[in-house]
Amino acid sequence: MENPAFLLGIPIVVIGAIGVLLSLATLLGSTRLPAWLLEPMAAEHVPTRPVHEPAALGETSHPGPMEYVMVAAALFALEALELVVYYLDFLGAAALPIFLLLTVIQFAMVAMWYMHLKFDSRAFWQLFVGGMILAGAIFVVVLATLGSSFL
Amino acid sequence: MQHAQALEPALETSTGLDNRKLLMWLFLASECLFFGSLIAAYMLYRDRSVVGPYPGDLFDIPFTSVSSFVLLMSSLSMVLALAAIQRGDQRGLRIWLLCTALLGITFLSGQAFEFTEFYREGLSLDTNLFGTTFFVLTGFHGAHVSVGVLILLSLFVMALRGRLTPEKSLNVELAGLYWHFVDVAWVVIFTVVYLVTPT
Repeated sequence: MENPAFLLGIPIVVIGAIGVLLSLATLLGSTRLPAWLLEPMAAEHVPTRPVHEPAALGETSHPGPMEYVMVAAALFALEALELVVYYLDFLGAAALPIFLLLTVIQFAMVAMWYMHLKFDSRAFWQLFVGGMILAGAIFVVVLATLGSSFL
Repeated sequence: MQHAQALEPALETSTGLDNRKLLMWLFLASECLFFGSLIAAYMLYRDRSVVGPYPGDLFDIPFTSVSSFVLLMSSLSMVLALAAIQRGDQRGLRIWLLCTALLGITFLSGQAFEFTEFYREGLSLDTNLFGTTFFVLTGFHGAHVSVGVLILLSLFVMALRGRLTPEKSLNVELAGLYWHFVDVAWVVIFTVVYLVTPT
Protein backbone atom coordinates (compact mmCIF):
# COMPACT_ATOMS: atom_id res chain seq x y z
CA MET A 1 0.00 0.00 0.00
CA GLU A 2 2.91 2.36 -0.57
CA ASN A 3 1.27 3.89 -3.58
CA PRO A 4 -1.69 6.22 -2.90
CA ALA A 5 -3.24 5.10 -6.16
CA PHE A 6 -4.41 1.93 -4.47
CA LEU A 7 -6.19 3.90 -1.75
CA LEU A 8 -8.13 5.82 -4.36
CA GLY A 9 -8.46 3.32 -7.17
CA ILE A 10 -9.48 0.14 -5.38
CA PRO A 11 -12.59 1.62 -3.71
CA ILE A 12 -13.65 3.07 -7.07
CA VAL A 13 -13.19 -0.33 -8.72
CA VAL A 14 -15.26 -1.99 -5.99
CA ILE A 15 -18.08 0.59 -6.28
CA GLY A 16 -18.16 0.32 -10.08
CA ALA A 17 -18.13 -3.49 -9.96
CA ILE A 18 -20.98 -3.53 -7.44
CA GLY A 19 -23.02 -1.25 -9.73
CA VAL A 20 -22.50 -3.49 -12.75
CA LEU A 21 -23.13 -6.69 -10.76
CA LEU A 22 -26.35 -5.28 -9.32
CA SER A 23 -27.57 -4.63 -12.83
CA LEU A 24 -26.56 -8.09 -14.03
CA ALA A 25 -27.97 -9.85 -10.96
CA THR A 26 -31.47 -8.94 -12.03
CA LEU A 27 -30.81 -10.63 -15.38
CA LEU A 28 -29.31 -13.78 -13.91
CA GLY A 29 -32.15 -14.12 -11.44
CA SER A 30 -34.74 -13.77 -14.21
CA THR A 31 -36.51 -11.23 -12.11
CA ARG A 32 -38.19 -8.15 -13.35
CA LEU A 33 -36.38 -4.94 -12.52
CA PRO A 34 -37.98 -2.92 -9.73
CA ALA A 35 -40.27 -0.11 -10.81
CA TRP A 36 -37.89 2.63 -9.68
CA LEU A 37 -35.21 1.27 -12.02
CA LEU A 38 -37.58 1.20 -14.97
CA GLU A 39 -38.65 4.77 -14.41
CA PRO A 40 -36.91 7.53 -16.34
CA MET A 41 -34.73 10.09 -14.60
CA ALA A 42 -36.44 13.11 -16.13
CA ALA A 43 -39.88 14.59 -16.07
CA GLU A 44 -42.31 14.15 -18.94
CA HIS A 45 -41.46 15.27 -22.46
CA VAL A 46 -43.40 15.94 -25.61
CA PRO A 47 -43.88 12.44 -27.06
CA THR A 48 -42.38 11.74 -30.49
CA ARG A 49 -44.69 8.77 -31.00
CA PRO A 50 -48.47 8.87 -31.30
CA VAL A 51 -50.01 8.91 -27.86
CA HIS A 52 -52.32 5.97 -28.55
CA GLU A 53 -49.44 3.63 -29.22
CA PRO A 54 -47.65 1.80 -26.44
CA ALA A 55 -43.96 2.39 -25.89
CA ALA A 56 -41.51 -0.46 -25.49
CA LEU A 57 -40.94 -1.62 -21.95
CA GLY A 58 -38.72 0.66 -19.93
CA GLU A 59 -38.88 3.30 -22.64
CA THR A 60 -40.33 6.76 -22.38
CA SER A 61 -40.89 9.62 -24.78
CA HIS A 62 -37.80 11.25 -26.29
CA PRO A 63 -37.35 14.99 -26.76
CA GLY A 64 -38.22 16.70 -30.04
CA PRO A 65 -35.90 17.95 -32.82
CA MET A 66 -35.78 21.53 -31.50
CA GLU A 67 -34.37 20.35 -28.18
CA TYR A 68 -31.76 18.28 -30.02
CA VAL A 69 -30.70 21.37 -32.01
CA MET A 70 -30.41 23.40 -28.81
CA VAL A 71 -28.18 20.73 -27.30
CA ALA A 72 -26.03 20.80 -30.45
CA ALA A 73 -25.69 24.58 -30.14
CA ALA A 74 -24.57 24.18 -26.53
CA LEU A 75 -22.05 21.51 -27.55
CA PHE A 76 -20.67 23.83 -30.23
CA ALA A 77 -20.33 26.64 -27.69
CA LEU A 78 -18.48 24.36 -25.26
CA GLU A 79 -16.15 23.20 -28.04
CA ALA A 80 -15.41 26.81 -28.94
CA LEU A 81 -14.79 27.61 -25.28
CA GLU A 82 -12.26 24.76 -25.09
CA LEU A 83 -10.38 26.29 -28.00
CA VAL A 84 -10.39 29.72 -26.36
CA VAL A 85 -9.00 28.24 -23.13
CA TYR A 86 -6.32 26.39 -25.12
CA TYR A 87 -5.00 29.63 -26.58
CA LEU A 88 -5.06 31.56 -23.29
CA ASP A 89 -1.44 30.97 -22.30
CA PHE A 90 -1.66 32.86 -19.02
CA LEU A 91 -3.99 30.18 -17.59
CA GLY A 92 -1.10 27.71 -17.36
CA ALA A 93 -1.89 24.70 -15.18
CA ALA A 94 -5.35 26.13 -14.40
CA ALA A 95 -6.41 25.19 -17.94
CA LEU A 96 -6.37 21.48 -17.08
CA PRO A 97 -9.36 21.47 -14.69
CA ILE A 98 -11.24 23.76 -17.07
CA PHE A 99 -10.65 21.31 -19.94
CA LEU A 100 -11.79 18.39 -17.80
CA LEU A 101 -14.91 20.24 -16.64
CA LEU A 102 -15.87 21.21 -20.20
CA THR A 103 -15.29 17.63 -21.37
CA VAL A 104 -17.45 16.19 -18.59
CA ILE A 105 -20.25 18.63 -19.46
CA GLN A 106 -20.06 17.73 -23.18
CA PHE A 107 -19.96 14.03 -22.37
CA ALA A 108 -22.94 14.31 -20.03
CA MET A 109 -25.00 16.32 -22.52
CA VAL A 110 -24.51 13.78 -25.31
CA ALA A 111 -25.19 10.86 -22.98
CA MET A 112 -28.26 12.40 -21.31
CA TRP A 113 -29.99 13.88 -24.36
CA TYR A 114 -28.69 12.16 -27.49
CA MET A 115 -28.30 8.72 -25.91
CA HIS A 116 -31.55 9.32 -23.99
CA LEU A 117 -30.15 8.30 -20.60
CA LYS A 118 -32.21 11.09 -19.11
CA PHE A 119 -35.43 9.69 -20.53
CA ASP A 120 -34.91 5.91 -20.55
CA SER A 121 -34.74 3.33 -17.80
CA ARG A 122 -32.39 3.97 -14.90
CA ALA A 123 -30.93 0.50 -15.48
CA PHE A 124 -29.19 1.74 -18.65
CA TRP A 125 -27.79 4.68 -16.73
CA GLN A 126 -26.55 2.33 -14.01
CA LEU A 127 -24.81 0.05 -16.50
CA PHE A 128 -23.11 2.88 -18.36
CA VAL A 129 -22.02 4.79 -15.28
CA GLY A 130 -20.72 1.51 -13.80
CA GLY A 131 -18.52 1.12 -16.87
CA MET A 132 -17.43 4.74 -16.66
CA ILE A 133 -16.45 4.41 -13.01
CA LEU A 134 -14.44 1.28 -13.75
CA ALA A 135 -12.75 3.05 -16.67
CA GLY A 136 -11.93 5.99 -14.42
CA ALA A 137 -10.51 3.62 -11.83
CA ILE A 138 -8.28 1.97 -14.44
CA PHE A 139 -7.14 5.41 -15.52
CA VAL A 140 -6.24 6.56 -12.02
CA VAL A 141 -4.62 3.30 -10.91
CA VAL A 142 -2.50 2.88 -14.04
CA LEU A 143 -1.27 6.46 -14.12
CA ALA A 144 -0.57 6.71 -10.40
CA THR A 145 0.99 3.26 -10.11
CA LEU A 146 3.28 3.61 -13.08
CA GLY A 147 4.11 7.23 -12.32
CA SER A 148 2.72 9.42 -15.06
CA SER A 149 3.46 13.13 -14.86
CA PHE A 150 -0.24 13.69 -15.50
CA LEU A 151 -1.14 12.86 -11.89
CA MET B 1 -45.95 13.24 -42.66
CA GLN B 2 -47.54 10.05 -41.50
CA HIS B 3 -47.67 8.74 -38.01
CA ALA B 4 -46.37 5.30 -37.31
CA GLN B 5 -48.98 2.62 -37.02
CA ALA B 6 -47.15 0.87 -34.25
CA LEU B 7 -43.65 1.12 -32.93
CA GLU B 8 -41.93 -1.42 -30.76
CA PRO B 9 -44.39 -3.93 -29.34
CA ALA B 10 -44.36 -4.10 -25.56
CA LEU B 11 -42.13 -7.13 -25.13
CA GLU B 12 -42.44 -9.16 -21.97
CA THR B 13 -38.86 -9.80 -20.96
CA SER B 14 -37.42 -11.00 -17.67
CA THR B 15 -36.12 -7.51 -16.92
CA GLY B 16 -38.95 -5.46 -18.36
CA LEU B 17 -36.41 -3.93 -20.74
CA ASP B 18 -35.70 -4.67 -24.36
CA ASN B 19 -32.87 -7.21 -24.39
CA ARG B 20 -31.18 -5.76 -27.47
CA LYS B 21 -31.00 -2.33 -25.93
CA LEU B 22 -29.75 -3.75 -22.64
CA LEU B 23 -27.05 -5.66 -24.49
CA MET B 24 -26.00 -2.54 -26.37
CA TRP B 25 -25.60 -0.61 -23.12
CA LEU B 26 -23.59 -3.47 -21.63
CA PHE B 27 -21.38 -3.42 -24.71
CA LEU B 28 -20.91 0.35 -24.39
CA ALA B 29 -19.97 -0.09 -20.72
CA SER B 30 -17.26 -2.53 -21.80
CA GLU B 31 -16.14 -0.05 -24.45
CA CYS B 32 -15.60 2.51 -21.67
CA LEU B 33 -13.04 0.13 -20.18
CA PHE B 34 -11.44 -0.46 -23.58
CA PHE B 35 -10.94 3.22 -24.35
CA GLY B 36 -10.10 3.97 -20.71
CA SER B 37 -7.18 1.55 -20.95
CA LEU B 38 -5.93 3.03 -24.22
CA ILE B 39 -6.19 6.61 -22.93
CA ALA B 40 -4.38 5.65 -19.73
CA ALA B 41 -1.59 4.05 -21.78
CA TYR B 42 -1.29 7.19 -23.90
CA MET B 43 -1.13 9.48 -20.88
CA LEU B 44 1.49 7.25 -19.31
CA TYR B 45 3.86 7.07 -22.25
CA ARG B 46 3.38 10.18 -24.35
CA ASP B 47 6.06 12.25 -22.62
CA ARG B 48 8.52 9.40 -22.15
CA SER B 49 9.79 9.38 -25.71
CA VAL B 50 13.55 9.70 -26.00
CA VAL B 51 13.47 10.76 -29.64
CA GLY B 52 11.13 13.09 -31.51
CA PRO B 53 8.86 14.13 -32.95
CA TYR B 54 6.84 15.10 -29.90
CA PRO B 55 3.15 16.04 -29.60
CA GLY B 56 3.86 19.76 -29.59
CA ASP B 57 5.75 19.47 -32.88
CA LEU B 58 2.88 17.87 -34.75
CA PHE B 59 -0.57 18.75 -33.50
CA ASP B 60 -2.64 21.15 -35.57
CA ILE B 61 -5.32 22.13 -33.07
CA PRO B 62 -7.54 24.22 -35.39
CA PHE B 63 -7.68 21.37 -37.91
CA THR B 64 -8.52 18.75 -35.30
CA SER B 65 -11.08 21.08 -33.73
CA VAL B 66 -12.94 21.20 -37.04
CA SER B 67 -12.85 17.39 -37.18
CA SER B 68 -14.24 17.24 -33.66
CA PHE B 69 -16.98 19.67 -34.57
CA VAL B 70 -17.89 17.52 -37.60
CA LEU B 71 -18.24 14.47 -35.37
CA LEU B 72 -20.31 16.38 -32.81
CA MET B 73 -22.67 17.55 -35.52
CA SER B 74 -22.98 13.99 -36.82
CA SER B 75 -24.50 13.13 -33.44
CA LEU B 76 -27.16 15.76 -34.06
CA SER B 77 -28.00 14.35 -37.50
CA MET B 78 -28.09 10.84 -36.02
CA VAL B 79 -30.60 11.77 -33.38
CA LEU B 80 -32.66 13.64 -35.97
CA ALA B 81 -32.75 10.43 -38.03
CA LEU B 82 -34.14 8.62 -35.00
CA ALA B 83 -36.74 11.33 -34.44
CA ALA B 84 -37.70 11.06 -38.12
CA ILE B 85 -38.31 7.30 -38.08
CA GLN B 86 -40.22 7.54 -34.81
CA ARG B 87 -42.71 9.92 -36.40
CA GLY B 88 -42.84 7.88 -39.63
CA ASP B 89 -40.94 10.41 -41.76
CA GLN B 90 -39.12 8.13 -44.23
CA ARG B 91 -37.66 10.97 -46.31
CA GLY B 92 -36.23 12.66 -43.23
CA LEU B 93 -34.83 9.33 -42.06
CA ARG B 94 -32.96 8.78 -45.34
CA ILE B 95 -31.62 12.33 -45.43
CA TRP B 96 -30.34 12.34 -41.85
CA LEU B 97 -28.87 8.84 -42.05
CA LEU B 98 -26.94 9.78 -45.19
CA CYS B 99 -25.90 13.07 -43.62
CA THR B 100 -24.55 11.25 -40.55
CA ALA B 101 -22.62 8.76 -42.67
CA LEU B 102 -21.12 11.57 -44.77
CA LEU B 103 -20.08 13.49 -41.67
CA GLY B 104 -18.47 10.30 -40.36
CA ILE B 105 -16.60 9.86 -43.63
CA THR B 106 -15.48 13.50 -43.42
CA PHE B 107 -14.08 12.86 -39.96
CA LEU B 108 -12.28 9.75 -41.19
CA SER B 109 -10.83 11.69 -44.12
CA GLY B 110 -9.50 14.28 -41.70
CA GLN B 111 -7.94 11.55 -39.60
CA ALA B 112 -6.35 9.94 -42.65
CA PHE B 113 -4.92 13.33 -43.65
CA GLU B 114 -3.60 13.89 -40.14
CA PHE B 115 -1.98 10.44 -40.00
CA THR B 116 -0.35 11.03 -43.38
CA GLU B 117 1.02 14.40 -42.29
CA PHE B 118 2.39 12.94 -39.06
CA TYR B 119 4.06 10.15 -41.00
CA ARG B 120 5.69 12.66 -43.30
CA GLU B 121 6.95 14.52 -40.25
CA GLY B 122 8.65 11.32 -39.11
CA LEU B 123 6.14 9.86 -36.65
CA SER B 124 5.16 6.24 -37.16
CA LEU B 125 3.92 3.41 -35.00
CA ASP B 126 7.47 2.43 -33.99
CA THR B 127 9.18 5.82 -33.90
CA ASN B 128 8.72 6.41 -30.19
CA LEU B 129 6.32 5.76 -27.30
CA PHE B 130 4.23 8.77 -28.21
CA GLY B 131 3.80 7.48 -31.77
CA THR B 132 2.87 3.99 -30.63
CA THR B 133 0.26 5.04 -28.09
CA PHE B 134 -1.12 7.87 -30.24
CA PHE B 135 -1.67 5.73 -33.34
CA VAL B 136 -3.11 2.82 -31.37
CA LEU B 137 -5.58 5.04 -29.50
CA THR B 138 -6.74 7.20 -32.40
CA GLY B 139 -6.50 4.28 -34.83
CA PHE B 140 -8.86 2.17 -32.75
CA HIS B 141 -11.23 5.10 -32.48
CA GLY B 142 -11.07 5.55 -36.25
CA ALA B 143 -11.85 1.84 -36.65
CA HIS B 144 -14.94 2.32 -34.47
CA VAL B 145 -16.03 5.27 -36.61
CA SER B 146 -15.50 3.15 -39.74
CA VAL B 147 -17.73 0.40 -38.34
CA GLY B 148 -20.31 3.04 -37.46
CA VAL B 149 -20.25 4.42 -41.01
CA LEU B 150 -20.81 0.90 -42.40
CA ILE B 151 -23.77 0.42 -40.06
CA LEU B 152 -25.22 3.79 -41.09
CA LEU B 153 -24.82 3.05 -44.79
CA SER B 154 -26.49 -0.34 -44.28
CA LEU B 155 -29.41 1.37 -42.55
CA PHE B 156 -29.56 3.93 -45.35
CA VAL B 157 -29.81 1.17 -47.98
CA MET B 158 -32.51 -0.54 -45.89
CA ALA B 159 -34.39 2.75 -45.69
CA LEU B 160 -34.09 3.23 -49.48
CA ARG B 161 -35.61 -0.23 -50.01
CA GLY B 162 -38.43 0.56 -47.60
CA ARG B 163 -37.33 -2.07 -45.11
CA LEU B 164 -36.79 0.39 -42.27
CA THR B 165 -40.31 0.91 -41.06
CA PRO B 166 -41.30 2.71 -37.86
CA GLU B 167 -41.76 -0.71 -36.25
CA LYS B 168 -38.01 -1.16 -36.63
CA SER B 169 -37.04 2.17 -35.10
CA LEU B 170 -35.07 0.32 -32.43
CA ASN B 171 -32.51 -0.63 -35.11
CA VAL B 172 -31.85 3.07 -35.69
CA GLU B 173 -31.80 3.74 -31.96
CA LEU B 174 -29.19 1.03 -31.34
CA ALA B 175 -27.02 2.31 -34.20
CA GLY B 176 -27.46 5.77 -32.71
CA LEU B 177 -26.29 4.64 -29.28
CA TYR B 178 -23.13 3.21 -30.81
CA TRP B 179 -22.56 6.36 -32.87
CA HIS B 180 -23.05 8.71 -29.92
CA PHE B 181 -20.64 6.65 -27.85
CA VAL B 182 -18.01 6.98 -30.58
CA ASP B 183 -18.67 10.71 -30.46
CA VAL B 184 -18.28 11.07 -26.69
CA ALA B 185 -15.16 8.89 -26.78
CA TRP B 186 -13.68 11.40 -29.22
CA VAL B 187 -14.68 14.31 -26.97
CA VAL B 188 -12.50 12.77 -24.25
CA ILE B 189 -9.69 11.82 -26.65
CA PHE B 190 -9.59 15.29 -28.16
CA THR B 191 -9.21 16.90 -24.76
CA VAL B 192 -6.76 14.45 -23.27
CA VAL B 193 -4.60 13.88 -26.34
CA TYR B 194 -4.68 17.21 -28.13
CA LEU B 195 -5.56 19.97 -25.67
CA VAL B 196 -3.81 18.84 -22.49
CA THR B 197 -0.20 19.55 -23.36
CA PRO B 198 2.60 17.51 -21.78
CA THR B 199 4.38 19.06 -18.85
